Amino acid sequence: MLVRCSTALQRFYVIMATSFDKSTVAAEARPSSNPAKKPRKMSTSAAAMTAAFDKYAHYLNTLNDKRERVVKASRDITINSKKVIFQVHRISKYNRDEVLEKAEKDLAAVTDQYMSRLVKELQGTDFWKLRRAYSPGVQEYVEAATLYEFCKTGKLLNLEAINASLLPLSDPSFEPLQINILDYVLGVADLTGELMRLAIGRISDGELEYAKTICRFVREIYRKLTLVVPTMDENYEMKKKMDTMLQSVVKIENACFSVHVRGSEYIPLLGCSSDPNFSFLGAQVLEL
Amino acid sequence: MLRNAFIVLSHSINPNPNPNFPISLPHLLKFSISRSSLPNLHRFSSAHSLTNRTSRHFCSSTTQSSMADAGNSSSSSSSSSSMEKQFEGFLQQLEQSGNLRDRIRAVAAEIESSTRLMHSCLLLVHQSRPIPEVTARAEAQIDVLKGLYRRLAEILRELPGQYYRYHGDWRTETQTAISLIAFLHWLQTENLLVHSEVEQKLGLDSSEFGLDIEDYLIGICSMSNELPRYVVNQVTTGDYDCPRKVLAFLTDLHASFRMLNLRNDFLRKKFDGMKYDLRRVEEVYYDVKIRGLAPIGDSTGDQGTQA
Repeated sequence: MLVRCSTALQRFYVIMATSFDKSTVAAEARPSSNPAKKPRKMSTSAAAMTAAFDKYAHYLNTLNDKRERVVKASRDITINSKKVIFQVHRISKYNRDEVLEKAEKDLAAVTDQYMSRLVKELQGTDFWKLRRAYSPGVQEYVEAATLYEFCKTGKLLNLEAINASLLPLSDPSFEPLQINILDYVLGVADLTGELMRLAIGRISDGELEYAKTICRFVREIYRKLTLVVPTMDENYEMKKKMDTMLQSVVKIENACFSVHVRGSEYIPLLGCSSDPNFSFLGAQVLEL
Repeated sequence: MLRNAFIVLSHSINPNPNPNFPISLPHLLKFSISRSSLPNLHRFSSAHSLTNRTSRHFCSSTTQSSMADAGNSSSSSSSSSSMEKQFEGFLQQLEQSGNLRDRIRAVAAEIESSTRLMHSCLLLVHQSRPIPEVTARAEAQIDVLKGLYRRLAEILRELPGQYYRYHGDWRTETQTAISLIAFLHWLQTENLLVHSEVEQKLGLDSSEFGLDIEDYLIGICSMSNELPRYVVNQVTTGDYDCPRKVLAFLTDLHASFRMLNLRNDFLRKKFDGMKYDLRRVEEVYYDVKIRGLAPIGDSTGDQGTQA
């Protein structure tokens, strides 16, 4: 009975809260400053409480909406960065330039369309506040950009270079969004997985030397990261990635090893004229 | 041959190519090939001849060698040292950040011990000590906390715009502090301590080092957990009016919280817990009232103001 009575009262307060005048909200009454009238105290304190909570509600709504938009932007970045990565994987010894050209275009599109949306959303706020919301997208973006760069130049794209490419996206009146070290390192950790796939693909395509280059590169990254990881903030995720990364390194090494051991048996075969690709390769050489 | 073996050894000790040492393609090939057959020098020599064959083969195709070139530059000394430099920089920055975090955690630990003292003072209300005596002792801790938050703000001033990077290191302690300060405030005034008042009490400033609103709200939810126990003990010592006051306050508070659109997060969980506090207080109020213990005049007056 009393419980029901109290819920009715609650309903009344909610109605009161929603119909509360905005102008009174702005001038937030200090409930402690007027302890004068005892019988009316309850209602004034309730009003003050409502006024205060109206502000909190507004804050939470704005924050949650923003978070949703950031999550969406991050997801779009992830999807489209994945496309860049797949494009890079289409590389083979014959279509390298063509594939990389398209990948570059795709990557530029991700930067211009989706990263810029994230930058616009986050500018003027503490970038760490919503980091959880955008970190996955940024990691994927780092992965795509570094993978493309590796295939293009064989080097690891520096964080500085990525951040420099993001500078033109942001409004100069705000502090520009810069990818933090943690997201960059997490992205580079994922890069090794993609490089493993690339190496295996190259080996089956007969490009053993390229696979070995990848192997050295990935090993080097792994070695560098073993030092950095213990100092990272929340390194649980990173520790898992380190294990995966080691597996990738070992996979590449094993693949290189098995081609190597059996190399004397079938590597010369690739070069023999019975290989149907060989004439094609020769034609390409002539074109160049 | 001996020279090659030496290179192999030095590389296996330090896989990072020495920038002072010029590395040509055949050298690298020898190195990587011989790694898998290092213990067997006899096989090494056969691998050596294989290398010559394969490298000759690679050179016959332009496309392939251009790809290999692109790849090889990664292991060339210049790019490797730039990678080295970048990761050294990371290490340095992350260590710096770790030191800062340690300092923040040290302050957070002090905040925690201060709130523990405050809590133990406030627990005396359950032993029906007079409220002014209890609050006076607890209030002394607010100044301590104020000093600690000033220190925290000073540490964070070194890294502007990174408040939320380290936020996790003091948020639990802050939530506890808020719940205690709000309870203390309620004991003194029977009113809710609003966000701006907490900031004022702790000397925080939203423009610089503010109090996160979610932390504040979580603190307030925790505060409500203390109320059922308080009501039960007050009634036991003969304060029959207490349940009415607490119920009115908690009802208002619960209704106010229902104005918020919460996400499925910790705050939501805390808020869901509040209804049990409310129910418990309602039960106590019911028990007192049904037995005619509640002061009748005040009770009807209360109903009058609320309805």
